[in-house]
Amino acid sequence: MLETRNLDKSFGAVHVTRNVSLKLERGERRVILGPNGAGKTTLFNQLVGELTPDSGSVHLAGEDVTALPVAKRARRGLSRSYQKNTLFDGLTVEENLGLAAAVHTGNATQLWSDSLAKPEVREIVDEVAEQVNLMPYIHAKVSEISYGVRRQLEVGVALATRPLVLLMDEPTSGVGPEMSKGFHDLLNNLPRDLTMLIIEHDMGLAFDVADTITVLNYGEVVFDGLPEAARGSKLLKDIYLGSWEDA
Amino acid sequence: MFRHTALRYAVLVLLASAALFQAFTAEYFGLEILTEILILAMLVLALDIVAGFGGMVSLCHGALMGMGAYAYAILSTTAGIAPPVAMAGAVALTGAIAWAIGAICSRSHGIYFIMATLAFGQMAYSYVFEAPIFGGDDGLGGISRLDLSFVGIDLNDSRSFALFCLASLGAIYGASVLILRSGLGRSLTGVMHNEQRMRALGLTVWRVKADVFGLSGMIAGLAGVLAAQHIMYISPGLLSWTVSGEALVVVILGGLGTLVGPLVGAAAFVVLKHELSAVTTYWHLVVGALLIAVVMSRANGIFGWIEARWGARIDRRLTDATRKPEAKEVLGDA
Repeated sequence: MLETRNLDKSFGAVHVTRNVSLKLERGERRVILGPNGAGKTTLFNQLVGELTPDSGSVHLAGEDVTALPVAKRARRGLSRSYQKNTLFDGLTVEENLGLAAAVHTGNATQLWSDSLAKPEVREIVDEVAEQVNLMPYIHAKVSEISYGVRRQLEVGVALATRPLVLLMDEPTSGVGPEMSKGFHDLLNNLPRDLTMLIIEHDMGLAFDVADTITVLNYGEVVFDGLPEAARGSKLLKDIYLGSWEDA
Repeated sequence: MFRHTALRYAVLVLLASAALFQAFTAEYFGLEILTEILILAMLVLALDIVAGFGGMVSLCHGALMGMGAYAYAILSTTAGIAPPVAMAGAVALTGAIAWAIGAICSRSHGIYFIMATLAFGQMAYSYVFEAPIFGGDDGLGGISRLDLSFVGIDLNDSRSFALFCLASLGAIYGASVLILRSGLGRSLTGVMHNEQRMRALGLTVWRVKADVFGLSGMIAGLAGVLAAQHIMYISPGLLSWTVSGEALVVVILGGLGTLVGPLVGAAAFVVLKHELSAVTTYWHLVVGALLIAVVMSRANGIFGWIEARWGARIDRRLTDATRKPEAKEVLGDA
């Protein structure tokens, strides 16, 4: 469903992505691990088109999308959430989800009709709000909801484009342990045919959600395999200084 | 997202009532001032749509208004086209030019967007100033008003023309609300809040900006057509960046991103201008001081200040007032 071939990116003398090749099958849930500065978010930015790789290619559902801009990749089914919330602060939860759903359904540029009143938009908004547990806050403004609920909305907005592949950059970043557990359930309850690539530091969530795990270090893939194999890998323990043994 | 509150409705009713009262009771000079307010209000509505709801602070809206005026003048006088068709043509042409300006400028932001629009505006001004077809520095005269005699309305009468401008402004206000509440308007708000995220959701951002800029240009063009019909003479000064600057002052003075605020601003600005200029030639100093006070107070203009200070209380009272009869019925049933 999503494939990168020898993706390479440098910023001056700093080599941030080194020949990264990944292949995600339809419905696969892969977690990317790696210490800070390993190049995880830079890899995401290249996948969605916010950064152009120096060499290599990105393929979505068999199509080479390397030359496509961000919006066109998104319309082909590549959606992402961000490590820092990028929500529409003055708007309600419903309106946030509605903006994304309107783009997906082709109502975002309609004149003389309210996109949020369209049945196809409403259907997506209601469905996603249920999926990410946002129904109790549906009419609240972003500024009125807690940080944890905003993280749910961050994922919800990405989901409302009905993507083929969902990229999530540290979805539990900054949330407490209880909320983090809620996120495990939330991600596990998403449709099984949705392909997910998740950057995560929370080892509990990583091992709970992942079908496969990729570990990046200094921009290079140093491990690619099943969670069970990752748990026993000495190389990974060295990279993380054994920090997940408690997970 | 644009929302009408009870306070906004109340101010709209108040403004419309005052305009109607003035239109039916004022003499010639009062009617001229009213028409000036209504045409300026249309221009600042156009500017508020792009600046207040799209973050596109334009310094070419004066030029767009001028283009509308000149296009109408050329089409209706030189080309001899019937005024209604010339009006439609002028509005469509201005919209198309505005769309192109919006498409090009949409890739820039902040100060660069302002400068790019200023450059387009000044290019238009310079061209009109020099080109013989536009009458150069002398401008163009002999512009006729729309002929509505078939429905018994003589627009050459100042009162009828003021009422015609008021009806046009009402229609444009309604259209502006529809635009802002449409899918396009919602996307525009999304772009203003977070352009990167809207792009990541799959939206072609430049297209949304260009479309809204084009629609705003059509409104500015209509203001230009009415300005040409009002004075029946136009000069290149109409396209000057100072007209755009003045429109921006009015929008900020009234309340950016409120639609209602710029209407308040237009009325306040024109009345202040006429009252103060009768007292002193330095009336700009007073308007300047007022603008500085508004900006420094961090209030969103005159209307924004009223809304922030009393909006919630007035909304509650007005809502309660409309609900009271129901409440009494319920009590009565009990």
